[in-house]
Amino acid sequence: MLSCRRVAKTYGTDRGDVIAVEGIDLDVESGQFTAIIGRSGSGKSSLLAMIGGLSRPSGGEVIVDDTEIWSLDEAGRASFRNLKIGYVFQFTSLLQTLRLVDNVALPALLARRQLAAQAYDKAAHLLDQMGLADYLDAYPSEVSAGEQRRAVIARALINDPAVLLADEPTADLDEQTEMEIMDELLAVNRERRTTLLLVTHNLALAEQAGRIVHIANGRIVP
Amino acid sequence: MTAQQHALRWLLGRLALQNLGRRKARSLLLIAAVAVGTGVIFTGIALMRSIDASMALGFTRMGADLMVMPEGALTNITAALLTVEPTDLVLDADALAKAKLDSVRRYAPQKILRVAHSGIGDHHEAVDFVGFDPQRDFTIQPWLAERINRPLQADDVILGAARDAPLGSQVLIFGKPYIVYGRLARTGVGIHERGVFMPLSTFDALVQRIPAGDGIPPAVLAADKVTGFLVELAPGATMLQARFAILSTLKGVKVVTGDSSLSGIRQGLAALLTGILALMILLFASLALMVSVLFSAIVTERRVELGLLKAIGTQRSQIVGLMIIEAAMATGLGGLLGVVVGALIMRFYEHSLVYYLDKIGIPFVWLDLPRVIAFGAGTILLACVIGAAGVFYPAWCASRRDPYDLVRGEA
Repeated sequence: MLSCRRVAKTYGTDRGDVIAVEGIDLDVESGQFTAIIGRSGSGKSSLLAMIGGLSRPSGGEVIVDDTEIWSLDEAGRASFRNLKIGYVFQFTSLLQTLRLVDNVALPALLARRQLAAQAYDKAAHLLDQMGLADYLDAYPSEVSAGEQRRAVIARALINDPAVLLADEPTADLDEQTEMEIMDELLAVNRERRTTLLLVTHNLALAEQAGRIVHIANGRIVP
Repeated sequence: MTAQQHALRWLLGRLALQNLGRRKARSLLLIAAVAVGTGVIFTGIALMRSIDASMALGFTRMGADLMVMPEGALTNITAALLTVEPTDLVLDADALAKAKLDSVRRYAPQKILRVAHSGIGDHHEAVDFVGFDPQRDFTIQPWLAERINRPLQADDVILGAARDAPLGSQVLIFGKPYIVYGRLARTGVGIHERGVFMPLSTFDALVQRIPAGDGIPPAVLAADKVTGFLVELAPGATMLQARFAILSTLKGVKVVTGDSSLSGIRQGLAALLTGILALMILLFASLALMVSVLFSAIVTERRVELGLLKAIGTQRSQIVGLMIIEAAMATGLGGLLGVVVGALIMRFYEHSLVYYLDKIGIPFVWLDLPRVIAFGAGTILLACVIGAAGVFYPAWCASRRDPYDLVRGEA
């Protein structure tokens, strides 16, 4: 259900082109939890960004849910990201001037598939599931880093995406919070059957995945 | 609009407003800069238009630059105002129209008839009847001190300052009733003080009723003849140029010039106002550039936020719209502040400079309130447009970039 065909990414710099991803082929089954591991600069985040429709590949195809996402026009790809893909960044990615409940409801409001009241109800429910029922009206700066990360997961799930992409989601968290966040992601994968791709360089976290893909120098290595 | 769209717009609007509040010092400086700029533009334009209107009144009251009369006519060259004097001689009514002189901005034909027995009421005193073209006139109507609140019509007359009859009342002239439409202010010039002024068509009808024994010159009775023309120079033209052009084009005329210093002042002030207008345009352009540079920096600073918005599915048009709303709110607020401050400055002028000008008899015509409000609304709208235009290009560029590029910029 998720396929990458000869996906490549080259960044142009002042010192010349830098190849981040070099012709990767990857198939991920629906509902599977796949961990992508590798050293810093190995190209794993670039690969995830291309799969998530966030960064245009230099070559190759990314097919999600039978749609080659980079053949869509800009508006179509924005809608696809909104509806089919949930993304958890490796940094706090909430809009600081909106309340947690607004942050979570925003993708649903953008999707225009449900009433505003329903979007807010669902946002509140998801935040409740993440243990943040008391912080609906709180601003991101008023909650801890772990709570912010949970809110980001809630936002990623608001439109029931087919794929949840997490790019080192626990990179700046303490060990206890890291485990709590991983438990949330595992629960999403297990209970919702949402395909989960996790980028990490933490082997202990990767070992919880059903499949581990190792990337080095922009290529998948055995 | 559905409730959902309304909620989304409200959320994006709130996001824009809160972003302004997040950087209070910068937002306040931006608002202050726009307020100063728009305040100067609003006050400047409103004052300019007022000065323009005052000049239009003041300078037209100064009369014509020169006068074209039949060659043999007597003229009073000592009067402060150029006025056509009664004479038996006439000119063709279309003489100046045919001449098409570049040095002439506008001209006003007049016919004058002096009768020994006016037929006005019981007085039967000597009077000067003056016929003028209300559309072309610029020397009589500006002196109206009071008038009926409607346009001048046939069978209306305007009385000189020394004549005493209530506005709207009827006066009998050679047995026919005429409505007193208005009265001129005091000028100290005989014809203006004691004359009876009327549209040319009314004048032509009137002279037909004057008894034959009163010695009416037959030429004055002709509808296609006039006693003379009062002329205003074109911008940049000199008395000498106009005089030469008229005398070389029209035969049997003489040109009487007024005070050349007044013409110079009129033309100089008109040029000054044009210069001020150019400065206003430059100020507007520099304000737009400043706002554009500032918002370019703001968009760059917020690329992570814009990247996040794109990542969760916000459309490009929504990203650009969000930035435009934010910019327009900031500059619109600055515009509003500028208009309020500008209005206070104008109020100050009204109680100081204009008050003293009025006291010494120099008329100052303020723009009427609806126009001031329209100018204010226009200025605020302009400020919003400056903000929207300033942010559009950087926002459009940012919206074209991949979300990951935007996010990676600062993450």
